[in-house]
Amino acid sequence: MNTLGEMALSFAVLASAVAILASMISARFQSARALCVARWSIAALAVMLCASAAVLFTALLGGDFSFDYVARFTDRALPVGYKLAAFWAGQEGSLLLWAVLLAVLSAIAVFTLNRQQPIAQSAATIATLSVVCAFFALLILFAANPFAVSPEIPDDGNGLNPMLQDWAMIAHPPLLFLGYAGFTIPFALMVGALLAGRQDDRWIDATRWWVLFAWLFLTVGIVLGAKWAYVELGWGGYWAWDPVENASLLPWLTGTAFIHSLMVQQHRGMFRIWNSALLAVTFVLCIFGTYLTRSGIVDSVHSFGESLIGTFFLAFLLVAVAFSVGLIIWRMRRLRSQRKLEGLIGRDGVFLAVNVLLSGMMLVVLIGTVFPVISRLFTGTSTTLGPGFYNKVVAPAGLLLVALMAIGPLLTYGKDAAGRLARGSLIPALAAIVAGVAVWACGYHNAWAVACAAIAAAAITAALVDFARMLIARCREETPLLALVRLIDGNHRRYGGQLVHMGIVLVVIGVTGSSVFSTNQTFQLNPGRSTDFAGFKLTLNSIGQSRGVNYQTTEANVTATDADGRSITLRPQRRVYDKWEEQTNSVVAIGSNWKRDLYLNLAGWDEDGRNVAIQAIVNPLVNWIWAGGWVLTIGALICLIPRIESVFEKTPAPQLAPAVRQQALKAPGPRGRRSRNPGPAVVAR
Amino acid sequence: MNSMRIKLAVGACVLLGAITYLALAGARQAHVYHLTVDQFLSDGQYRTQRVRLCGTVDDKHFSASPASLTASFLLKGAGVELPVQYHGVIPALFQAGRDVVVEGQLNPQGVFAADVMMTKCASKYESAADKASAS
Repeated sequence: MNTLGEMALSFAVLASAVAILASMISARFQSARALCVARWSIAALAVMLCASAAVLFTALLGGDFSFDYVARFTDRALPVGYKLAAFWAGQEGSLLLWAVLLAVLSAIAVFTLNRQQPIAQSAATIATLSVVCAFFALLILFAANPFAVSPEIPDDGNGLNPMLQDWAMIAHPPLLFLGYAGFTIPFALMVGALLAGRQDDRWIDATRWWVLFAWLFLTVGIVLGAKWAYVELGWGGYWAWDPVENASLLPWLTGTAFIHSLMVQQHRGMFRIWNSALLAVTFVLCIFGTYLTRSGIVDSVHSFGESLIGTFFLAFLLVAVAFSVGLIIWRMRRLRSQRKLEGLIGRDGVFLAVNVLLSGMMLVVLIGTVFPVISRLFTGTSTTLGPGFYNKVVAPAGLLLVALMAIGPLLTYGKDAAGRLARGSLIPALAAIVAGVAVWACGYHNAWAVACAAIAAAAITAALVDFARMLIARCREETPLLALVRLIDGNHRRYGGQLVHMGIVLVVIGVTGSSVFSTNQTFQLNPGRSTDFAGFKLTLNSIGQSRGVNYQTTEANVTATDADGRSITLRPQRRVYDKWEEQTNSVVAIGSNWKRDLYLNLAGWDEDGRNVAIQAIVNPLVNWIWAGGWVLTIGALICLIPRIESVFEKTPAPQLAPAVRQQALKAPGPRGRRSRNPGPAVVAR
Repeated sequence: MNSMRIKLAVGACVLLGAITYLALAGARQAHVYHLTVDQFLSDGQYRTQRVRLCGTVDDKHFSASPASLTASFLLKGAGVELPVQYHGVIPALFQAGRDVVVEGQLNPQGVFAADVMMTKCASKYESAADKASAS
């Protein structure tokens, strides 16, 4: 079995080499046949990596301890779901996961490349993808081989780290890596277009779909990671500005910036150098994020420990940076835009502001993350920048971004942009005042809370008013349901994007509420006793021991009664897993509703069970964060799927009444643009 | 250069300047030195500020009480030791002999009062392998 996995890996390396060679030949000799070979080599590479992954999965499921990896990360008693999740519990497996996802996405990308584009362009894209794939395949084969044979076959494995035995850990790494790997595709498309010397903006259309795809998975991955930290790490928070968390945020920030500035390039042919640079930076940051997790250069709760792999990554990173910088400088002249910005108040100005803010945030987070390393280099003493550093920048910049979301739907191109903005902001501004005053009047005298409420209310109102206005105009002609579907279907990008914004606003509300108004206290209780905490009466009923599948658990039974007399029972636990006897693992109990979470952590107890320490936290509005995650997922999916009406092309589009058409034309968006362009090259072949 | 470009450049610079200003202010407030016990004791400047110390928990004078959320122990450096009084939730992996990171400040009695503690297990995910190689 081990050999089978290694053979598949070796063939994958071979296939990537063939792909590199064939794509270079194809570019040099304009050979369509060589391009075809390169294409199929990528497919073979994907198949081979999938095969090696299948081998590892089979070994994990079957508990084949002749695999060192299986012996290190699973044991017989481990539930099936976690046996599968053990695939990405260690260094080698998670790198393999990265490679598999990258190869599969690359295969999809190369077979959906626009067949009309020059051979050299496709060849350069395929070459880029195969170089990245080759790097990972080589790295896995020579530096992090998950198929290594156990020195001696043990009777049972070491078991999976209890921290990873959580449902969020089954889903979080694959989704995050899908995001990381996904950003390689737009980078390769950009490299292809630049190397081939394209001067038009056609290529940017194809990158859009892939960037949205990668963005969606990266976002969901980050939210799930936050959820994992919240329920598993037991300190009551979901984000700690830990280096590994930051690593996933960095490409998210630049990816988000690209999604916005991309529109300026599509509509107006500007920001072209900037967009190319953003794609390159996002790709490099994805690799950097992986490097940060692998190399152990920064202390983190998540890191995998120091290893040689870090050196490989560092070298690859340097090459990627040098290549990208060189490429963009070389093509600078062709990338220069022909047009000038129209105005600060218009869409261009706002998109510019969004880009400056997001890139600035990225730089700050990047500097903060590597500060311990930089400061050690320059002063000899390592210095950490605590959460206060990040919050100081990210909180105001984040609120400013939400404020820009509020004026987003009101923006148009053209001369009267400022006037339209002024007339349209009346209702959102009123909503902002009402919300701010309401929050203040309810006794929440905190500047952040008031500002957040006001800005969030403005953003939500602006989007709703805009949507309602369009819907009402359509409802004169159509039934409400049909109008709703047709309206959204008519402009996926606009309404999907608005929905994503609403999701982000919900997340911002949740983050503000839970970080400004969180209360945290630790109590010592005897069974039968009660204490008052943040409007709750907490009664410790009992503490007892029981047995789980592969762990021994101590569970406290606590009744929490709120001011209205409603009570819930919460059972925070501390587990000792059979294979990890030296560590106890906290399983917090959370009583949650849309207003707040009551978060209980069993902190400790005396041997005789008389004295029990319980850490209680009330975190307001945390559920809004998870709800926001769902909303933005739906929004991003709407952006990703093709227009339903264009799929059923046979039904002719109904003629809109003049009034409706006028309304529709006023709305900025890619309607007209889309029809002028052939669809993105990536929609199904 | 037309006036629009200048306006845009000024706008972008104002935003970037604000971000830089906030970052500098944040760094001044939230920076914490990372020191070994030896560095900490050899330089007087650190005695009045919050720092993060890294060392090994000595097995002499070690006491931890999870129910009352306190631990007191000696943090060992290369050649010196520092008494530490920790108050907070005791991390799961905390025990004598472990490498730990504590954050806090020296109190007038010469005891390091810590309110943050991390059991330094640089390779959490790999500790199974350590265990295997140790046995």
